[in-house]
Amino acid sequence: MTELQDNWASRLRAGAIGVAVAAPLALGGAAFAQSYPSADETLDWTIAFGPGGGNDIMARTIIDILDTYDLYPGDIAAENRAGGSGAVGWGYLFAQAGSGYGISTTSGSFVTTPLQADTPWQPADFTPVALLATDDLVLVVNGSSDIQDIGQFIEYAQSNPVTIAGTGTVNVDFIVPTLFAQAAGFEFEYVSFNSMADQTTALLSDSVDAMVGNPGEILGLIDSGDLRPLVYSGASTPAALGDVPTMGDVGYDIGVSMPRGLILAPDAPAEAQEWWIATMQQVVQTPEWAEYISSNTLTPTVLYGEEFRTFLTNTQNGFAEVLRSVGAID
Amino acid sequence: MDIFSDLVMGLSIAITPINMLYLLIGALVGMIVGVIPGFGPSAGLAILLPVTFGMDPIGAIMMLAAIYYGAMYGGTITSILLNTPGESATVASTFDGFPLAKKGRAGPALVMQAVASFVGGTVGVILITILAPLFSQVSRSFGPPEYFLLAMMGMLTLIVMIGTNWKLGIISALIGFALGTVGVDLETGQGRYTFGSAELIGGIYFIPIAIGLFGLGELFYAFYSGLHKTGTGGIIQYDKESRFWPTAQDYISTRWTMARHSVLGFVVGVIPGAGATIASLMAYSTERSLSKHPERFGQGEMAGLVAPETANNAASSGAMIPLLTLGIPGSASTAVLLAAFLLWGLRPGPLFMEQNPELAWGLIASMYLGNMALLAISIFAIPLFVQMIKVPYRILGPAVVVICTLGTFSVHASFIETYLMFAAGIVGFFMRLYGFSPAALVLALVLGPLAEEALRQTLTISRGSFGIFLDRPASLWIIGVTIVLVLILPLMGRIGGSAGKAEKAGG
Repeated sequence: MTELQDNWASRLRAGAIGVAVAAPLALGGAAFAQSYPSADETLDWTIAFGPGGGNDIMARTIIDILDTYDLYPGDIAAENRAGGSGAVGWGYLFAQAGSGYGISTTSGSFVTTPLQADTPWQPADFTPVALLATDDLVLVVNGSSDIQDIGQFIEYAQSNPVTIAGTGTVNVDFIVPTLFAQAAGFEFEYVSFNSMADQTTALLSDSVDAMVGNPGEILGLIDSGDLRPLVYSGASTPAALGDVPTMGDVGYDIGVSMPRGLILAPDAPAEAQEWWIATMQQVVQTPEWAEYISSNTLTPTVLYGEEFRTFLTNTQNGFAEVLRSVGAID
Repeated sequence: MDIFSDLVMGLSIAITPINMLYLLIGALVGMIVGVIPGFGPSAGLAILLPVTFGMDPIGAIMMLAAIYYGAMYGGTITSILLNTPGESATVASTFDGFPLAKKGRAGPALVMQAVASFVGGTVGVILITILAPLFSQVSRSFGPPEYFLLAMMGMLTLIVMIGTNWKLGIISALIGFALGTVGVDLETGQGRYTFGSAELIGGIYFIPIAIGLFGLGELFYAFYSGLHKTGTGGIIQYDKESRFWPTAQDYISTRWTMARHSVLGFVVGVIPGAGATIASLMAYSTERSLSKHPERFGQGEMAGLVAPETANNAASSGAMIPLLTLGIPGSASTAVLLAAFLLWGLRPGPLFMEQNPELAWGLIASMYLGNMALLAISIFAIPLFVQMIKVPYRILGPAVVVICTLGTFSVHASFIETYLMFAAGIVGFFMRLYGFSPAALVLALVLGPLAEEALRQTLTISRGSFGIFLDRPASLWIIGVTIVLVLILPLMGRIGGSAGKAEKAGG
């Protein structure tokens, strides 16, 4: 692969860097009553992607919040272990089975990489802490298009097969429009690009009819009217998108999204899992977290513990089914 | 005029002691990451990004941008001295840069590349200043059909690379295309030759291959020919007779080269995704087509070094246009800059310059200052780099192996890529021994996947019809320029008298 076609979101894989965040001892917290977490143990925080990507930003936001509110008593060492679309970082965490001090954040590749490669781990192997948010997609057309809303789009697509651009094939970008088109009864050609930048350029140059993408990266173009949002795949539309309906609002709910959550190493002690669930319940209440959700246009979707594990398994099965039906995976 | 008041405002923001310090740090770091093979601007930016979290956004963005364009200055130094491109946009600089050093003109080559970088970078910033809104229209007229045609134009350089020994050249290129097919098929999502390895999902990255083929291959060949026993100099001869500074002739003969490729590089840079690598390759092949002495290219022709160097710096300025006017990153490096904008809560897009004039114009103004600083740093640093040539080869050789290994590993911290680099080194030695073309292999590896993906996207969009290339105005423009480049210019050269020499160029 070359610099020209690097998917920045997934391939900002740089050398590992260690940033030690020294958290002062929590005074009078519940932490003293239990043996976990011990202030002597350094928390080994794996970020499975390079600095600057979505996974990195989320991990560092949580670490900042833990630090600001003195929620974690010991030191936290966050390290970027990028490579193999997350396989390297989560493989590193997988190898720490049984430990309560190995932790990582998840993103879409957590579900899709094991479908594409022989990773020794599966999402359900890890100790689930919490699903914190989901990444959802917005369907947009060029601002100069005659299509003004999703109703017109479906009507147009039913009589003229359309092209919809997205990033990658083994990806929510492909699965969301596929399921939506099945529900709404239209056909389309999916055009796969290497990055959000490539697909946005293709739409702006009128090469494709529409595209799906995370709203965060294209809000500027939506604000200026260069791109027109039609429908949002999440449970509730982010404020930044205004009154764009969700797929559920227009009657074609597809129920697929990318999980952003927190996991511990496989078979982590139950008290570690409980401590982190209780702590994350505090984290999601903070104004800093609310700011993170809104500035990254994520959908706040919170599930704890085993419910998160079930969510991961269901998401992965749903993906595998769609991808198998089109022959993308065996 | 409006632009000048904006620029003055930008300068007043950029010229504070603390911002100037950040700018200088950025320029220096950029030079350094550029010099280390493999460790390009995107890796350097990504690693330094977390350091800037606590900083004021204007200073931080000025610093990050300086790392980005500074790397274009540093990247050529190893291309010239070690035949090892520091990063992808400087592959084309090895074609004539290394032969120049072999001829004993390492000093003038290094100075000329710094001057060319400065001219390209500065013309680029001037064009941003006055023509940003106009060029944002260029950015938005490129889709998959145009990218396919651009990749085809880049492949014209292959013909130049293949040269006279065309059978071996074609085999080299085919190996490159074959390596380019590894990875997940973008359209169907199926793994191709990945053997279930997660490391190969993303395909074979071209940096380890380039470092192995050029850097290690050249080194092994030098050992093979017994250079380590000769004690001094190594591959490159340092000729004390030829002075350190370029001659007046060097400047005069390349003045139009610089002017041409500043504009060409900038325009290619404006196109998202094409970037500095394609710009430098196109500049090299264009310059060769235009030259009165195409047969001197590859033998150490100054214009053959100046053309890609001017173009890659102008392109890195040009790539700021889609970033600033549309919020679209044109390359892996500008993608990290975009990530930085998002981190600071800015919203890049068509309204960005209007909504954040201090930041946008501060950044543009800082690019003028940054390029001047980089020229000065380069000129001062060059005598140090030239000293490297005087190191006995038995010491320099092992050091190069260490640098190549570290550089490759630092990009993605991948052992597989490091092994690939060593394997490519062995292959590179035999290619050198038997007259194959490593440059053609690397080019094919860069352009093959790009062309394949763009063509398949195009045909999906057009439902299998090639007519799409003739329906789109931007496509027609590229086809027109290609025809001029391939047919009309060499033809004019032939009519112009030097028929025998031009014949060789067609090779």
